[in-house]
Amino acid sequence: MSPEWIEIGRGLCYGGAGLAFGLAGAGSAWGISIAVHQCAGVLREKPELFGRMLVMIALPGTQGFYGFIAAILIMTQTGLIGGSSIKISLGTGLAMFFVGLGCGIAQLMSAIKQGEASAAGISLIARRPESAGRAILFPAFVETYAVVGLLATVLFIIFLTQPVVLKFLG
Amino acid sequence: MIPKINNFAKWGFVCGRISVLEATFLPKEFFLNLINQERIDDIIVILQDTYLKDYISPGAMWLSEEFGNIFDRCFNDIAFSLRSDCPSPLPVDLFLIQNDYLNLASAIKDKTDFVFPPCLFSYDMLSAIAQKDYADLPKTFKESYAWQTGEILGINPALLDIIVDGAYLRHLLLISDETKSELIKKYIRLRITSYIIIAMGRGMDKGIPMKHYQQYLSPIPGYDHLIDELAVTPNIENWRGIIGGEIGDIFFECAEYEEVDHISIFEFRVNNFLSNMAHIGAYQTAGPERVFAFLLGLLNEMQNLKLVVMGRINNIDRDFLKARIRDCYV
Repeated sequence: MSPEWIEIGRGLCYGGAGLAFGLAGAGSAWGISIAVHQCAGVLREKPELFGRMLVMIALPGTQGFYGFIAAILIMTQTGLIGGSSIKISLGTGLAMFFVGLGCGIAQLMSAIKQGEASAAGISLIARRPESAGRAILFPAFVETYAVVGLLATVLFIIFLTQPVVLKFLG
Repeated sequence: MIPKINNFAKWGFVCGRISVLEATFLPKEFFLNLINQERIDDIIVILQDTYLKDYISPGAMWLSEEFGNIFDRCFNDIAFSLRSDCPSPLPVDLFLIQNDYLNLASAIKDKTDFVFPPCLFSYDMLSAIAQKDYADLPKTFKESYAWQTGEILGINPALLDIIVDGAYLRHLLLISDETKSELIKKYIRLRITSYIIIAMGRGMDKGIPMKHYQQYLSPIPGYDHLIDELAVTPNIENWRGIIGGEIGDIFFECAEYEEVDHISIFEFRVNNFLSNMAHIGAYQTAGPERVFAFLLGLLNEMQNLKLVVMGRINNIDRDFLKARIRDCYV
């Protein structure tokens, strides 16, 4: 394989890493914004509920961190961070790109939907403050799939950078 | 007809406010308890648990007229406050333009005391109309046949109310179409149908010739046929076949009552039917339907409070009051 193809492979890896944290970060910002709008309206009428609302606002922010972890892992395993000089073929680059993209989409969508679930939970707490414990469960269920997305991404990255697989992908 | 939730961030703030406000809605038992009170002072104390607490204070002397204004003021204040927080004022305007048209009716009758808080029609505009400067008359009013034929000058004040009603209904239709909400559009279409039936039924009771409704209530896009059919059917019992649909069924049920005011019962029942239909909007986390459903619930609550308090002050029969309590939001 010519050096140009190797460079393209490496570039695709970094593109995947960028998409992983970019999409996840955008989703988290979006999700938090949805929850914050609802929360601000509630606090206008009942400022004393701020403590109970804080967790609901923070929950959609976790996806941004998951995307960040995935991106860091791609960069360390492919040698951008840490200085290891593994050979990245076009096949490995493409695989990493799509792993990063998949992770980013999973985090983006789950963050937005978690923001909506948090908004619904905030609405419930506003009406029945004693239901705060139950209201946190709704967005927590959405969180499950963000965690599953991150786990799958980590496993894929580790698997794809094993010597046997690197050899198989060219 | 499930309300769409596609604009969370924009409607989130106002719907967050509503989440808190709707927690203070009153159940039917509250109104029944209020009816059972013997003294007006006790009623005022109980009212301290409602939205009215900022408007009344125990120990103050109240006349029944003052009470009547308090309920309207309370509703208007909350509605205006929500309107300022809404990304689009349309769901709130559907409730507030009624004030505008009541003020407009006064202005066209050359009166300059506008008792209702204006929403879309400013005091300046109304004052100009009262001084016969018709340049700023709303488009919905200018669409009436009476205006276009110049018949409006020197018209009987009772007929003028019909023309204003027509303009009001055209405006409702216009706003509901702009909301792009299926729930709100369906509600307004059924509300307009029932409004026409009630107006024409009451007109018939008062001996107003039905041809006036054809002349002055029209044109209302999609409803002119209904107005024409009702106008040429002098027997109110035959209206059910003309009305059709869910509203026709309610009208038929009300017509079965004997020796009572059919139109009043119809108005009461259709109001409950429409409120229950629109209540689905209350299950939306954020969106115009949520605002609309809340305001409808608030309006019903204020109407119930007004009915009970004014009824008790004027010694209206308790059983009558209990029967006329509208369905509550909670």
